[in-house]
Amino acid sequence: MESNPSILHRNNVRVAGTGPRTIVFAHGLGCDQAMWRYVAPAFADQFRIVLFDHVGAGGSDLTAYDPAKYCDLNGYASDLVELGAALQLEDAVFVGHSVGATIGILASIRAPHLFGRLILIGPSPRYLNTGEYDGGFTTNQVDELLEALDDNYIGWSTAMAPVIMANADRPELGVELTESFCRTDPAIARAFARLTFTSDNRADFAGVSTPTLVLQCTDDVIAPPQVGAYVHEHIRGSTLVRLRATGHCPNLSAPEETVAAIRAFL
Amino acid sequence: MPLSEPSFSGPALSEDLEDLYENAPCGYLSVGPDGRIFKINRTLCRWLGCTADALVGTRFSEALTVGGQAFYDMQLVPLLLLQGAFTEVSVELVAPGGSRLPVLMNAAERRAEDGRLLFTRMTVFNATERRRYERELLSARRAADAARAEMEALQQATQAHLLDERATAALREEFIAVLGHDLRNPLAAIDSGMRLLRRSPLDERAVKVVGLVQSSVTRMAGLIEDVMDFARGRLGGGIALVVTAVPLGPVLQQVVDELRASHSGRAIEVVLAMDGPVLCDARRIGQLASNLLGNALTHGDPAGTVRLSAVTDSGRFTLTVINDGEIPAALMPRIFEPYARGESRPSLQGLGLGLYICQAIALAHGGTLEVVSGGKETRFLFWVGT
Repeated sequence: MESNPSILHRNNVRVAGTGPRTIVFAHGLGCDQAMWRYVAPAFADQFRIVLFDHVGAGGSDLTAYDPAKYCDLNGYASDLVELGAALQLEDAVFVGHSVGATIGILASIRAPHLFGRLILIGPSPRYLNTGEYDGGFTTNQVDELLEALDDNYIGWSTAMAPVIMANADRPELGVELTESFCRTDPAIARAFARLTFTSDNRADFAGVSTPTLVLQCTDDVIAPPQVGAYVHEHIRGSTLVRLRATGHCPNLSAPEETVAAIRAFL
Repeated sequence: MPLSEPSFSGPALSEDLEDLYENAPCGYLSVGPDGRIFKINRTLCRWLGCTADALVGTRFSEALTVGGQAFYDMQLVPLLLLQGAFTEVSVELVAPGGSRLPVLMNAAERRAEDGRLLFTRMTVFNATERRRYERELLSARRAADAARAEMEALQQATQAHLLDERATAALREEFIAVLGHDLRNPLAAIDSGMRLLRRSPLDERAVKVVGLVQSSVTRMAGLIEDVMDFARGRLGGGIALVVTAVPLGPVLQQVVDELRASHSGRAIEVVLAMDGPVLCDARRIGQLASNLLGNALTHGDPAGTVRLSAVTDSGRFTLTVINDGEIPAALMPRIFEPYARGESRPSLQGLGLGLYICQAIALAHGGTLEVVSGGKETRFLFWVGT
């Protein structure tokens, strides 16, 4: 069996490029595989590129969303393992952004043969401050974030649609003008955000033995520097690279720097 | 011919763009590629209760709550970077003084020819009232969703309960039908035993006992018949009729004779005035008459006369049974319901199915059964036909 069409449909899997090795790109909260559009093409000449959407995001099959399954990041991780099996991945490179990084780690624990390299962009094993641990967020601040999601709940789908059309001054977006970015069902987005910001995966991070690269941005509110340092410290033999890029999305805001860091590690 | 000047006094209409920017009925904000505010209009400063100097040079993200900033970085920055704009986004701005301003924002990137980001323009609309309304709307929607889920659960539980009840009821009625059927055989054996005994030479005492046993057998056969009719009716079979044109006189006379035999000493007046055969199920009409007459004898004043009349008149058949005494008013509304017998005289209780079955027989014939009780008299009236 070459691949399982239902899994590829469920996660809106796109495969491009050619090469002996495969790179799987996993997006995080708030967007979809469009997150990789400035990064992934840079590897297409040497690698097979796999892009996908988590269930609930982008072009994924929303009917596959089962609240009981996706109330745990392991639900998302098991999708990734199934995707790996469908594509017969072995010793692939995993690049995960934000909570996508956590999902990759959980998948590699379940299926250690899948990934031979982990690249984590803005990872965080625990967003909430817990005892000595400084995750960058108080419970109150997580509530603020969920409230902000709620405030954009009403009219979410209608607000996003016209936005996509307003790109006359960005001709490089070309044919994709009509495509919508970062589509996500508001109820699912809220559940995913709550799950992300309340999960504690510190023990999972500590168990990683795959060669790992941690990319830490400057001025990242969501994954602040002390969290990057924590991840680096707790994943044995990991490499920490601090990017000059600011914010939480270097894959979009500083694709060249991001690509260079990944290339150097590979 | 030159056009005349419009005749209004005051300055000519023209827009002062600088003034439009500063005092527009919306807030304007420009953020550089480094994320710092470099221009802000007076309207927005007024809303935030500070001067432009207090904000120029600060990071835009500092004007958001930490949670709001995470939301901005997570949801809005990707949109800006992917499509250069976002619209109609709800955020809360935090003024330097700490007060919060709910706003709706649009943003658009301004890029140079070579694609380099020059700055991002933001338009801000005060949305304090609107946000309050939207939050109320949202909580109402959540409450409605929760209520709906609760109702669905309740409905499912009720449905399950109802099905369970129905299954139990059906089982019970099936049991009654089977029981009734099985009771008929031993009863028939007793009946034929009594008939045999009667043909033998018996002393006076034995004759009396056999008579009593046979009367009890008749009564019990009637009860079993009632129970089975009831169960059949409940099980959806209804009362089956075998309709033929028969002279009813002999049928009714037999009913009267049987009851006279078991109620010796009671006065029963009978009027049979039928000018021809009646189209009906004779056995059922006999059952109906027997039930009504039996009731009248049982429940009526023992000192009074029970009167039965059966009359045909231009196509209509009418059966009337009258006894002295009244039915308690409280019982009247339920008189034709199963088990609706009066509770005042437990010694005379039957199964309480007689009138229910009479009603079913009347309905099966397309006829009517009525009761009138008052003036020290109770009258049951059955009629069928025009």
